[in-house]
Amino acid sequence: MSTISNDTEFRQALDALSLEQQRTVASRFVQNVLSLSGDSRLQQVIDAVEVGTDLATAFKSAKRVSLEAHARCGSEGDWNEQAGYFVARAAQAAVEPQVRTAGKNPAWKAAMQCRMARTCLASDSDEDTHDLETGAQHQLLTDYLNP
Amino acid sequence: MSKPSVEKGIQFIKAQIDAPVASFFSSCVHCGLCAEACLFYTETEDPKYTPINKVEPMRRIWEQEYTVLGKLKSALGLSKPIDEATFKEWETLVYDGCTLCGRCSVACPLGNDISGMIRKSREGFAAAGYAPPDLIGATQRAMEIGSPMGVKLPAVKAQIRHLEEDTGLKVTIDQQGAEYMVLLSSMEIMNFPEYLEAIARIMRQAGKTWTIASTAFEATNSGIQIGVSDLAKVIVSRIVDAAESLGVKTVISPECGHAYTAVRWEGPNLIGRPYKFEVKHILEILDEFTKAGLIKTEGMEEARLTYHDPCQIARKGGIVEQPRRLLNKVASNFVEMRDAGAMNWCCSGGGGVSANERAEGLKLKAFKRKKTQLDELQVDTLVTACANCRLTLEEGLEENGMDIPVVGLTEMVADHLVEEERGS
Repeated sequence: MSTISNDTEFRQALDALSLEQQRTVASRFVQNVLSLSGDSRLQQVIDAVEVGTDLATAFKSAKRVSLEAHARCGSEGDWNEQAGYFVARAAQAAVEPQVRTAGKNPAWKAAMQCRMARTCLASDSDEDTHDLETGAQHQLLTDYLNP
Repeated sequence: MSKPSVEKGIQFIKAQIDAPVASFFSSCVHCGLCAEACLFYTETEDPKYTPINKVEPMRRIWEQEYTVLGKLKSALGLSKPIDEATFKEWETLVYDGCTLCGRCSVACPLGNDISGMIRKSREGFAAAGYAPPDLIGATQRAMEIGSPMGVKLPAVKAQIRHLEEDTGLKVTIDQQGAEYMVLLSSMEIMNFPEYLEAIARIMRQAGKTWTIASTAFEATNSGIQIGVSDLAKVIVSRIVDAAESLGVKTVISPECGHAYTAVRWEGPNLIGRPYKFEVKHILEILDEFTKAGLIKTEGMEEARLTYHDPCQIARKGGIVEQPRRLLNKVASNFVEMRDAGAMNWCCSGGGGVSANERAEGLKLKAFKRKKTQLDELQVDTLVTACANCRLTLEEGLEENGMDIPVVGLTEMVADHLVEEERGS
């Protein structure tokens, strides 16, 4: 049984996966922070990855959610709402068409966005929530690799 | 800000009328070329968006106060008054229908700085109480919290922790004697935290010391956008005080157009003295680093891509060649948009327009100009160097059903850095 305990191992393991597997793992990372977004369309994006069909529609949907959720220039930022923006960006990464990923690993990209979503919750305080998400992602990948 | 009034607005506009402004009004030959240079006019074909019309209240005040003919007309009751109705009517032209992109000023055959006059007119509109509520809110937050979007230091620290834990890179706050002080825009902090990581990776490879000031991490200056010089001065002074107190040699303005104009060009005039440090845009720094061999890139983007010149950086800042040199190092299929460089067309969201929610519909209409440019090129990727341009472009593309990713140039360069062993 292989256990992921740091980001070097995490990244190596993600790189060793096929694109389809990377998308699946990415969707699990997104699922773990989905409660930080109030947008139900993102669950459909994750479901599309599980089923493996119509990723193009899922991508359009995730991109739309991400654009709707971003903080507008000059508007008063709300970090709890901003967490939803990063969840949407993570979902977008999970279903991004290959032509746009330019060889970049969608699971790694989604992982970083999910961590950022969690970081948003600590943005109004000095609390460090980052490790929580990193550890959770290591465990999610470990579980995926050891079914 | 003291209580606004029309009288105050008129006085503020009057105070802005200096010799250049007087000569601009005297020399205008009503040729209409400024109209053809303005995307709000070209995309709506509504003559009220002709740039010179946007400064009509200022022109009336100049004529009535400073010309014999104007004084005579006033005495005979033939002048159009400047009153509440005037401010109300022109408010949306001055704020919603102008991004201060400066294209009209460059197109004017007589060299009249129309965009500069609109910027000056905003001083009067803000003083009269006729400014967009969203810009007023942003300015109040900038004064009270230090950021127009209300970003506080703990948020920056949280992002730094995130960055350090994910990458092993180090970011210092308030490091005395660092070579560079890096500014961030709240748009980057809120929406594009990748920018900070890109900076950290670039600086590590370049072997430069850099820091973020706890009292002046924010680059954006809503005092400039709304047109209140007193507030703009306070915001610039925070940066100047921090940079001089830390003893940095250079302040790096981020991928934000108007922040660069505010700190690089307007700042010294606002505080009334030269800085004791240099201000450079991040693209200037990247260009210097690559020329000096301090950073090395590998691999090329193969996608067909083009570059959107942010107006404040290219037209007003003169940073035209640097992004192209950088792109040619990392992209094999870079193509130019028509009117690229100093005569670029605005994204349609600058100068406070994207911060002004009521201007949303007009902004999307004006975006049609960029759509036309992009339709001609059929690119796979759009690169730019301003977080506000980036979001405006993303929104415009989405609205028009165009699936083109928009990428920040600093991030793109960082993505192509030759990887070094951690700790080397």
